Amino acid sequence: MSTSIAMTRQRAGAGAARAASRHRGIGASRRPGWVTYLALGIVTIAAAYPIYYAILLASSDAKTIAQHPVPSLIPGPNLLENLHRVVTSDIGFWHAVVNSLIVAVITSVSVVFFATLAGYAFSRLRFRGRRGLLVFIVATMAVPTQLGVVPLFIVMAKLDWTGKLIAVIVPAMVTAFGVFWMTQYLDSALPYELIEAARVDGCTMIQTFWNIALPAARPAASMLALFTFVGSWTSFFWPFIVLGSTNPTLPVALQLLQASYFKDFALIMAGVVAATLPLIALFAVVGRQLVAGIMQGAVKG
Amino acid sequence: MAMTAKTGPQGSAPGSRPEARRPVPPRDEARQARRNFWGKVDVKLSPYLYISPFFILFAIVGLFPLAYTAFASMHDWNLIGGQGDFVGLGNFVDVVQQPRFMTALRNTFSIFLLSSVPQVIFAIVIAFVLDANLRARTFWRMGVLLPYVVAPVAVALIFSRAFADQSGMINSLLGSLGIDPVRWHADPLASHLAIATMVNFRWTGYNALIFLAAMQAIPGDLYEAAVLDGANRARQFFSVTVPMLRPTIIFVVITSTIGGLQIFDEPRMFDQLGQGGSDRQWMTVTMYLYELGWGSQKSFGKAAAVAWILFLVIVIIGMINFAITQRIASAGSATHATKKKVAR
Amino acid sequence: MRTIRKPWLMLTVGMASIATLAAGCSSSSTPAASGSASTSASAAAEDVTLTITTFNEFGYDDLYAKYEAANPGVKIEATKAATSNEARDKMMTGLAAGSGLTDVEAIEVDWLPELMQYPDKLVDLTNDDVKGRWLDWKAAQATTPDGKLIAYGTDIGPEGVCYRSDLFAAAGLPTDRAEVAKLLTGDWDTYFKVGKDFMSKSKVPWFDSAGGIYQGMVNQMPAAYENADGTAKPLADNTEVKDAYTALMTASVTDNLSAHLGQWSDDWTNAFQNDGFATMLCPGWMLGVIEGNAAGVTGWDIADVFPGGGGNWGGSFLTVPTQSTHPEEARKFAAWLTAPEQQIAAFKAKGTFPSQVDALKSQDLLGQTNAFFNNAPTGQILATRAAAVTVSPFKGANYFAINTTVTDAIARVDVDKTDDAAASWDKAVSDFTNLGLK
Repeated sequence: MSTSIAMTRQRAGAGAARAASRHRGIGASRRPGWVTYLALGIVTIAAAYPIYYAILLASSDAKTIAQHPVPSLIPGPNLLENLHRVVTSDIGFWHAVVNSLIVAVITSVSVVFFATLAGYAFSRLRFRGRRGLLVFIVATMAVPTQLGVVPLFIVMAKLDWTGKLIAVIVPAMVTAFGVFWMTQYLDSALPYELIEAARVDGCTMIQTFWNIALPAARPAASMLALFTFVGSWTSFFWPFIVLGSTNPTLPVALQLLQASYFKDFALIMAGVVAATLPLIALFAVVGRQLVAGIMQGAVKG
Repeated sequence: MAMTAKTGPQGSAPGSRPEARRPVPPRDEARQARRNFWGKVDVKLSPYLYISPFFILFAIVGLFPLAYTAFASMHDWNLIGGQGDFVGLGNFVDVVQQPRFMTALRNTFSIFLLSSVPQVIFAIVIAFVLDANLRARTFWRMGVLLPYVVAPVAVALIFSRAFADQSGMINSLLGSLGIDPVRWHADPLASHLAIATMVNFRWTGYNALIFLAAMQAIPGDLYEAAVLDGANRARQFFSVTVPMLRPTIIFVVITSTIGGLQIFDEPRMFDQLGQGGSDRQWMTVTMYLYELGWGSQKSFGKAAAVAWILFLVIVIIGMINFAITQRIASAGSATHATKKKVAR
Repeated sequence: MRTIRKPWLMLTVGMASIATLAAGCSSSSTPAASGSASTSASAAAEDVTLTITTFNEFGYDDLYAKYEAANPGVKIEATKAATSNEARDKMMTGLAAGSGLTDVEAIEVDWLPELMQYPDKLVDLTNDDVKGRWLDWKAAQATTPDGKLIAYGTDIGPEGVCYRSDLFAAAGLPTDRAEVAKLLTGDWDTYFKVGKDFMSKSKVPWFDSAGGIYQGMVNQMPAAYENADGTAKPLADNTEVKDAYTALMTASVTDNLSAHLGQWSDDWTNAFQNDGFATMLCPGWMLGVIEGNAAGVTGWDIADVFPGGGGNWGGSFLTVPTQSTHPEEARKFAAWLTAPEQQIAAFKAKGTFPSQVDALKSQDLLGQTNAFFNNAPTGQILATRAAAVTVSPFKGANYFAINTTVTDAIARVDVDKTDDAAASWDKAVSDFTNLGLK
């Protein structure tokens, strides 16, 4: 029976590094049937079609798009040309890419670090006001953001940050979302025993965090990094208001492709593709990293 | 949950012991005292130090906006003209009596229910499937998360073409099946459904991955025990996976409650005018807030009042959802008890 | 409650420190326009950096360098927003915050009335060097009741009637643009009557959207919704608007002349490819939209006529916020950009139709033809259409709030078909009441 074989294998190889992947062995007992793959296939096609649709439009031209509201499934010949038009247009594409990278990388690293630190404290340390403060942090998310634009802009103007990347970076350096996420994740993924063991070994608080919590947080941290990166990469309104087109992030620059009264959808969609492809590439790398992180184990010793 | 109890002591279940205790290995007295002192400081202060970045940042960029809008909501406040007379709760009373506000509230709840509920359920099921020993696992996972990397604006551009009343892809598909075209931009429920589709498209895979990450942190022993108990896959799902996912489910439910009730971008980009339809069929509360504050009337005071009402609504719904989730997912009694202890 | 004292202390300290910021902000009357202040402060006294924000396509890109060359010591930094709505969001935020706007800001006529309520936020640009530069109605749009000129006109959108000559021919109507103009000369009833003739011999709807037509009608009313003192006319008693509404709804729904499309919707865009409608009201800037949406469709033409006289749709202005640290230099720059020569250059670059009297006589403009519209002399036609505009409609503080109640009513009947004309009007009246205007 495959179950017992799988389990034996796990037990035998139950090195700490694989601890978390153990339950996968159970799944091995039941390799999913074709129905599962079919369902997944449908979900994946539904997920991928709109992106493919964007590529279809980006590889077409304005006239063809106007004539065919439902595009044919075969891409047109103009993808590279349209991408070239995006890159070489006067919107400052490369400047925007660099800006977006700076903002996305800094905020991702910063959010992951500070959120993991706070999440660790909230989930595994004991201190006065713990619960109240966590509720407070979550509650700050419930304030509608539209309203904050004017006062936040006042703050930025006072700091003389308008038009500078720092105005986009600083408000996003640590998010309530991130803190809440890491708290909840570590709540279920980080056993007290490990912390206790580290403390018995004489680790200071920060050493415990560094050696125990941070490795355990890896899968969630890489996801949080991905979420933060994507969020930063696609965010439009605040960068638009506070930066403007002279020092834009990518969405702010790409929006300028829509400046003419007649919307050239081929060009606009080429912009969408130009902004999305780097994310998909990054995602391919991080996606693998996610799996790797899981293999190494959330409950690494 | 017999198996949970059984596996708990084996060590991988989160917190079979309530908290980390400070170890005091017997050593040389003076050094130990010093260590004790600094150790105590370390233990006492570290938590605050760790959470301080959020609060420092909040003090810089979050607090003033909050105070500003709270202040504005009590005044007759023009967006550009600035502060007017103090009106106390007048703005709140005013907006609550507006039929538009009630419409907006209805639409928000309707879209919220149509998006968040199926989204969370589908996400958890998809995650469970993805958690199995699939071939080409990475491929499927990435496929599911793909929509998330598309910017909301692009999603809106794509879907508004699909949902066009006369020439859209969906109505032509329905037409070829002999179904009458749906009036996506005229009928309130249809418009809510279309908007919910847009939301679900972008966020279901994202939530699925969140669940997946949490599922993978579930110790394998629990499943082993379940298998030994003769639990099939469905049984494992309800008696191991769901209870163990409790913190994550709470996270997803709370964040989608907050995000769902604040929904703005998708309904705003659902038609060319961005005001929620000729009869405000799909105007949400945040859109109403925006119209009040930034529209032709520029009543920032009333907009602020709506924002605070929405804040209260979110907190109330969030608490209700929290309670429901707690109840559904608290089957994992061991973890539950632990959590309570630590929380104190 | 010892547990929560600490955070509150922290919050209080934070609040106090922020409050200092806030206090400084509300009291300061000359906030720095950050973009310009930072760069100019370090430069020599005469050097100045002027910042400008535009949207869509103003055709100014090449002009900035020219101005810098002609004015040593001046540096131009240009920011652009894609659409008028985005530019508006940004401008409103900057005005609300009291800082952060550029020295010169472009505004569209649609939201100009909103700014007219705050003339003290904008520099009075009245100056001898621009006297008589614009068409009277264009200058009137930007002049406050007490005579301050708060913005310099850039372009306008004089309207003609665009039509499909092939569909006209199929229905037995004349196709030559002069004959079509003669056929349509008259009031709105004439336009609708010709539409009925047309539709008796064709299945194609006469016009695209009741909303588009209403825009043309309401812009011919000198004071549609408000009295001269700015007070709102009660919508229930507003017979002028009600009559236009009734006539339009009869034409759109009873006579079914409308294609029942919301302008700028995806259905509307796609309809250009499917013989969706035979005519539409078209300002100069619409020509490019039609050409793009109707790519591959032949037969579009434009007639030198407009129901009920003349009509203008859209157009923009340049203004100088009082936030600017160089209001005088900024004014000069705006005046230079809106001078006839520069507007002709912009027209040549991006086709923005000039609003300056002298520019309208330019041969560059009058000689322009448009191949897509059957080689129509569009420059000539639009210049005549600009001269035909006689009414400068009064738009006060509540114009757009009230106008929206009516256009919503029209869309409910024409596009959504959720209400009949009478019921929808009643809703508009109750929406008006809910606005709570005095």
